[in-house]
Amino acid sequence: MNLFNILSDIEKRDAEAYERVEFTRRNLLKTTAVAAVGTTGFLATTLNKAFAADSEVVDVLNFALTLEYLEAEFYEMGLSKGGLIPEADRMVFMKIGEHEKQHVEFLKSALGGSAVGKPTFDFTAGGKFADVFSNYATFLVLSQSFEDLGVRAYKGQAPRLKGNQDVLLSALKIHSVEARHAADVRLIRGLRVWASEQETGGAPAAVYEGENNIRQHDLVDLISVTAPRLLVKDGSPEMVAEKIVREAFDEPLTKEKVLAIAGPFIK
Amino acid sequence: MEKLNEVQSKKTTPTIPAIPSVERRMFMRQLGLVSATTAAFLASCTREVTDESINPKTGRSGARVGASILPDGTVDLGSGDIGISNLAFMLDQLETAFYGTAVEKAYGISQEDRKVLAELHDHELVHREFFRGILTNNGIPDLEFDFSGINFGDRYAIFDAAQKFEDVGVAAFNGAGPLIQDVEVLKIAGKMVSIEARHATLARYMIRPKTYFSLGHELIDAQGRDWALSAQEVMMKAQPFIKQKISVANLPK
Repeated sequence: MNLFNILSDIEKRDAEAYERVEFTRRNLLKTTAVAAVGTTGFLATTLNKAFAADSEVVDVLNFALTLEYLEAEFYEMGLSKGGLIPEADRMVFMKIGEHEKQHVEFLKSALGGSAVGKPTFDFTAGGKFADVFSNYATFLVLSQSFEDLGVRAYKGQAPRLKGNQDVLLSALKIHSVEARHAADVRLIRGLRVWASEQETGGAPAAVYEGENNIRQHDLVDLISVTAPRLLVKDGSPEMVAEKIVREAFDEPLTKEKVLAIAGPFIK
Repeated sequence: MEKLNEVQSKKTTPTIPAIPSVERRMFMRQLGLVSATTAAFLASCTREVTDESINPKTGRSGARVGASILPDGTVDLGSGDIGISNLAFMLDQLETAFYGTAVEKAYGISQEDRKVLAELHDHELVHREFFRGILTNNGIPDLEFDFSGINFGDRYAIFDAAQKFEDVGVAAFNGAGPLIQDVEVLKIAGKMVSIEARHATLARYMIRPKTYFSLGHELIDAQGRDWALSAQEVMMKAQPFIKQKISVANLPK
């Protein structure tokens, strides 16, 4: 088996895969050319040049930017309402809000002229969450929803960024920060930090649709291999295993489903 | 322990590959794609894979793609997506063993503390068994660990170690993500890395709740992005706790 046989093999069996090789090659050459220009560090402005022509990447990042605009404005408004966030929790939300603003700025500068503008938001979602900025409980439910939704949104888009290593790396790094946010908000609410259809904490069910997946690969029956070895003993080993397995993997959500959930908050 | 999850000195060089490595990297990509055509890379893990075309010009090298034990006893994680999966398998073995030891040896901690440690153990066990199941003959053997530097009589020391292991897990997945060839492997890594981040947050919350510390903020850069480590950097953090010498020499860079 040599390189050229591999390529023609792929071409025969999987025309799409061959296209992916070509795409990757072109992309590599592109990023290499950028490297040759002699930039140092990992600057958003450099990224901009690297993928300006890649409409797929622009689409993903604008989707991410829209969600980040939403989160950033949500925390900015929440923090500006005196008495909404208790003093003890304020520090966490200030930092989360700061991170979301940084994400907005990063994505905007990465997208340059291709960046979408900030939409007008309605955090009551047409009155459904009318007391969002006067009732801390409502604010917390939405905060948790936005963070867990953000985790699922980035996760769902990662495969679309595979052709561009630098952009993918940044997206993954933002993704895990969103997960840290989600976990902290859940802890403040006294919930389990892991997302499942059982552990919504009153958030819209759609945010957690599909989170109970327990089948990650046909080769592994995770319930039966883990049940005998679990240390948590809150019921039968199989029941505990099922709960643990569905919590041990966060599931992605498609862009369409994320937008359907976020839609009511965007005017 | 102290330095386990400190951010390394900032890299000043671009993450973009230097030109000489592009050919090699291209080749690794194609290897990944070959796997992808055989009903996804994961299925190919069920048999021992040998890379017979490391150098098309000089003929077969016969280098193993899966894990192998070198003559001096070093455990080599293998190459490509299998090597990356073995790195994760190694960390999940380490974390599962750590929490198992903590639940067994910890004293003077609350029932709530013990429950959290048991839950963290069980989630890591799931991840570990997932990799064991998909890697089969290409996976690393069961490793042995040394947690003698951790004081299991001190709940802060326990959760501090937990938080550091979890943060290294986050950084390992983030660093490896862009090097993964097969999209199915990337998807699975994505499903696990956010769990590691949730774990890290929980362990940190057990120490200092409702603070910047609980968010892992010191690891997050001025763009609001988490940290990432190369396989080599991960080993600098993890090797002191693993009895066998681990080699990541063949992992994609």
